[in-house]
Amino acid sequence: MTAPLLEINNLVTAFHTPAGRVPAVDGVSLSIERGKTLGLVGESGCGKSVTAMSILRLVAAPGVIEAGEILLRDASGAAVNLVTLPEPRLREVRGGRIGMIFQEPMTSLNPVFTIGDQIAEAVLLHRDVSRAEARGRALEMLELVRIADPKRRLDEYPHQLSGGMRQRVVIAMALACEPDLIIADEPTTALDVTIQAQILDLLADLRQRLGTAILLITHDLGVVAETCDDVAVMYAGRIVEQAPAAALFAKPRHPYTIGLLAARPERGGHAGRKAGDRAIGRLRTIPGMVPAPQHFPAGCRFHPRCAFARLPECAGAMPELREVATGHFVRCPYADALGEPRRLDEPREQIA
Amino acid sequence: MTDSQSRHPSRGFQSRSSQSRGFWAEAWARFRRKPLAMAALAFVTLLAAVALLAPAIAGTKPVLCRYKGRIYAPCLGYFDRRLEPTIFAKDRFRGTYPRNLKEKDPNSWAIWPLVFQDPHRAVRDNEWPGRPANPAKDEGRPNGINLFGTDQYGVDVFAKMVHGTTIALLVGVVSMGLAGTIGIIVGALGGYFGGWIDMLTSRITEIVMCVPTLVLILAVIAIVEKPTIWKTMAIIGATGWTGIARLTRGEFLRLRQSEFVTAARATGAGPVRIMLRHILPNALAPVLVPITFGIASAILTESSLSFLGFGPPPPAASWGSLLNDARSNLSMWWLVVFPGVAIFLTVLAYNLIGEGLQEVTDPRLREARK
Repeated sequence: MTAPLLEINNLVTAFHTPAGRVPAVDGVSLSIERGKTLGLVGESGCGKSVTAMSILRLVAAPGVIEAGEILLRDASGAAVNLVTLPEPRLREVRGGRIGMIFQEPMTSLNPVFTIGDQIAEAVLLHRDVSRAEARGRALEMLELVRIADPKRRLDEYPHQLSGGMRQRVVIAMALACEPDLIIADEPTTALDVTIQAQILDLLADLRQRLGTAILLITHDLGVVAETCDDVAVMYAGRIVEQAPAAALFAKPRHPYTIGLLAARPERGGHAGRKAGDRAIGRLRTIPGMVPAPQHFPAGCRFHPRCAFARLPECAGAMPELREVATGHFVRCPYADALGEPRRLDEPREQIA
Repeated sequence: MTDSQSRHPSRGFQSRSSQSRGFWAEAWARFRRKPLAMAALAFVTLLAAVALLAPAIAGTKPVLCRYKGRIYAPCLGYFDRRLEPTIFAKDRFRGTYPRNLKEKDPNSWAIWPLVFQDPHRAVRDNEWPGRPANPAKDEGRPNGINLFGTDQYGVDVFAKMVHGTTIALLVGVVSMGLAGTIGIIVGALGGYFGGWIDMLTSRITEIVMCVPTLVLILAVIAIVEKPTIWKTMAIIGATGWTGIARLTRGEFLRLRQSEFVTAARATGAGPVRIMLRHILPNALAPVLVPITFGIASAILTESSLSFLGFGPPPPAASWGSLLNDARSNLSMWWLVVFPGVAIFLTVLAYNLIGEGLQEVTDPRLREARK
């Protein structure tokens, strides 16, 4: 296998607040193959967005990338470290080699410029073309993301478009310079369900046609199942499980992943749920909340919420990420035992 | 074509009929529905026209004339002495055109200003065929020939005021143009970069804010050799930018955090481009409001200065210096009323425009007024 397109090694991004150092991302390693889709999953506040922002060094002050490297390889395999790249050269990467799609299509477009202007500007920043050519490219991109009546849309303002259309425009901007990688930070969260499916279809289709790798950040496991080749599950600033999508969904190993999968609403049946559950249709949840980074517990960070935690071992040392099956990494010492799905039905009482 | 909009043509139609226009077009449409603000805008436009056409409205030099076979425009001499064709000085006109033109070239013709009155000197006896000299002292009350009366030396007040319009408008626009430029740059730097740059620009702003403009101008006028109206404007501009800077800083602080700015950074835009192209257009509307109010206060400042006798050097006269003349001739009420009303109306007009701008561009006010 060739070296991956993007390789994140041991990334630490912390926020230096008056209340102290808050490590939102604490030693994350990831890699994305050329043309593949990696899903980065986790609850709100687990650090997945900060990881994404760190890749392009867009983390706002007081956030600082403290350690780690982010290697971006070109077609010949030569790598640049985005963490240490000087700002002017980083700007070439932003939008040029890595495009970004944001969560809120309502606010990620500049309200005072037309759609055409904004896409054309993204092109002009990276390509040596005339204004007219950039505008032509913008039209092309609008056609590519299948916006109805693209010629007219070119001269419209963001507030005249629906959420779904705006997100298409954002995707068009991100793709305008044919980047190798698209970072999509919850691209469908702000959209309603039918539009979500369309946007995901569009992304999958564009990936196939253009060969663009995608880092898809989401809290929606359904989205991951439909679109991703690989999945990384993040919890409290760390990767807790990473595996090919099929393997992860068939045989989740980390208690957190198991909990997330169980917390999904199922269509039709009640798989993963006991027949005797009192209220049919009630969702299973993971008790508690993601701890704030300044209150990360010692040991395994999930143990206070874990249905399988064994004290005091789990509160002792931070478990290492280890390979339990080919390409399947888990940060839990009991991962092998947890591979058995029936254990799901015997949750322990929650510990205080 | 899978988007819901294309499946429901009616929705697409609706969004179209609600008009495809940008922020400024939208603001203008709302501004147009404000009668007071529109009247104020019309008044300022009228003043601008008066300032530009001043020599054609009141003067003693022909707007256009044919003299010895060539066409001249001696009225340009009111803008700058050097623009007055030299041939008339050579032929010893001594500034008196009507008689001299006919005497020295019987074939000449001329288009005269609407009102044959000079802003710099009294019109003499028979200078305009058959018309007596301007009355001086308190004889010069308003009449058909001297619309706004004459001052103590017999100079026509209407002509003075028409020619003073340029100063009134220039003072506002030039000084606030300067103040706006400084204020936006200082505020943008502080708001966008934050940290020690913000610290520095904010402190400088506060220091400048402590300087009393009027006193500074008086001090400078006392020191400089040739006080001109331009120097006054420069000082008003150089001290009047603090409010604009603070507002710009606030807008930049707010917009810097917005997602579209992050998105712009993610497409590879540098700081200068982000500030100028992405943030500034979004911050411009609220910043325009204090600039408009600033124009009004600059006009007032200049009038106060002129009233105190520190106005533009003669022969140029601003409305404020007319008021100064009135001080020693209080029985001549027309010296107070006309310039006073002109200053009042102009300041009021700018304030009304500013208020209108604020209402049409600030979404919170816009909602409140519905």
